[in-house]
Amino acid sequence: MLESIRSAVSILSYFVLPALLVGFPLYGLIKGVRVYEVFVEGAKEGFDVAVTIIPYLIAILFAIGMFRASGAMDFLVNALDPVLGAIGVPAEVVPMGIVRPLTGSGSAGVVADMINQYGEDSLIVKMAATMFGSTETTFYVIAVYFGAVNIRDTRHAVPAGLFADLVGFLASVYVVRLLFG
Amino acid sequence: MLNYVWSGLIIFSLIFALAVDSQELVENRFRNDTPMPVTVAFPEGYAPDARRQPVRIQIGPSQYKEFFGVDAAPAPSYEGTLLQTKSGRQLQFSTEGSLPEPLSTIRSFHESDDNPALRGTLAKVASLSPSTQRVETAVQFEPVHFRKLNAIAEAALNFAETAASLALGLIGILGLMLGLVKIGEEAGLVHALADTVQPLLSPLFPNVPDGHPALANVTLNLLANVFGLGNAATPLGIKAMEDLQDLNPDDETATDDMVMLLALNTSSVQLVPPSLLVAIMGLQINQLIFSITLATFFSTIAGILGALVLSKLPWFRATAPHRLADATDDD
Repeated sequence: MLESIRSAVSILSYFVLPALLVGFPLYGLIKGVRVYEVFVEGAKEGFDVAVTIIPYLIAILFAIGMFRASGAMDFLVNALDPVLGAIGVPAEVVPMGIVRPLTGSGSAGVVADMINQYGEDSLIVKMAATMFGSTETTFYVIAVYFGAVNIRDTRHAVPAGLFADLVGFLASVYVVRLLFG
Repeated sequence: MLNYVWSGLIIFSLIFALAVDSQELVENRFRNDTPMPVTVAFPEGYAPDARRQPVRIQIGPSQYKEFFGVDAAPAPSYEGTLLQTKSGRQLQFSTEGSLPEPLSTIRSFHESDDNPALRGTLAKVASLSPSTQRVETAVQFEPVHFRKLNAIAEAALNFAETAASLALGLIGILGLMLGLVKIGEEAGLVHALADTVQPLLSPLFPNVPDGHPALANVTLNLLANVFGLGNAATPLGIKAMEDLQDLNPDDETATDDMVMLLALNTSSVQLVPPSLLVAIMGLQINQLIFSITLATFFSTIAGILGALVLSKLPWFRATAPHRLADATDDD
């Protein structure tokens, strides 16, 4: 059962990017969108987004880099491993779990740092990337959405959002283990 | 919150580095002032006039253990070079092959771009003649201190540089993805499924009356998230929030529906991965989309249950705007 799921995923995965690359323009074409011009218009933002995230990446990467270089990261990982290891969560992904709800660009930096450290193919990077893709920057969303309508008392929004993040965090770990472990 | 996490990382790095460095100084882990005993062998005999000559360096395992107080054992011998200058003799280990701890740490601490080799000053040797095959002596390495302090400063500079070049390297793929989703946006992808999804969401927003536009905007916002249309999602979300605010009897307190919208928003199912993640992971995204979709399935359920259950807790129930408004109506 598990084996057949895994092999189905590995075959289907070849179709993912091609489906996106062809699917969007094809759908646009059917809907009568001037696909080429719209594509170029959207692609222009690539530069802006890349430049916009630079300060966030610098802020997070240099702080994580220092933390790693001081040996504190190893210390933290070793300290957490006995606890988290028991529930199958590698301690190395904890920084991602902490940073993800706080900053989107910053957590992209964490993923980049982990690729650097553990290699692109490692399970840890797959888990971190899944966390990046599966949860939102909860605190940012709350600030923007409630800020837009001047809500002061957010009631259970923060605990509900963080609970969803926690479940997303754990689900990422187990799903990656299940699909790619 | 982020302010504390961020400054915590930096401050804790410094404290940790200082702690490790002072412990190493107190333990004198690298025997900074004592030459390490070695035996230098000359396979082709000692050449008095050669500035550089190949040698074999032998370190007695028990001597090594005693000297550094470690369990690591050195290899039987190491390739090396003897450098002779007016100021004295230097012994240089070959850069190939690995060294036991703590020698490898000493090497990496002193390595520079133009000379990555481990090297040290050879103690005075009384008699060396062309017939000398081997000589027992000692080598004094440059002292190692404030290793971690140096390392964190170096890491900060390196990572700042990495951050900028990394971001610039993402321009191409980001452009590609943003171009594609822009087409989806213009083609009205979010509207395509809205009629199917809207009735499913209706039970989650009990305070929105039938036919009110709030639910339509909520649906569009969530669908924009599902299809990775981040740029479109935020304005739609704010629009949905404004609609819910119109229904809110209390201007400053969030309703259960607003919290539900946020919980769904932060956990929503993803079918198209975020552009930034595609740019960072490249082709790997092919596989990751399956784990992402599956993980978001669970987090969405958690988001819904979390918002529902928490809204029933007395603490949060007490402040629910709609409930308070109903209570006043009863009076």
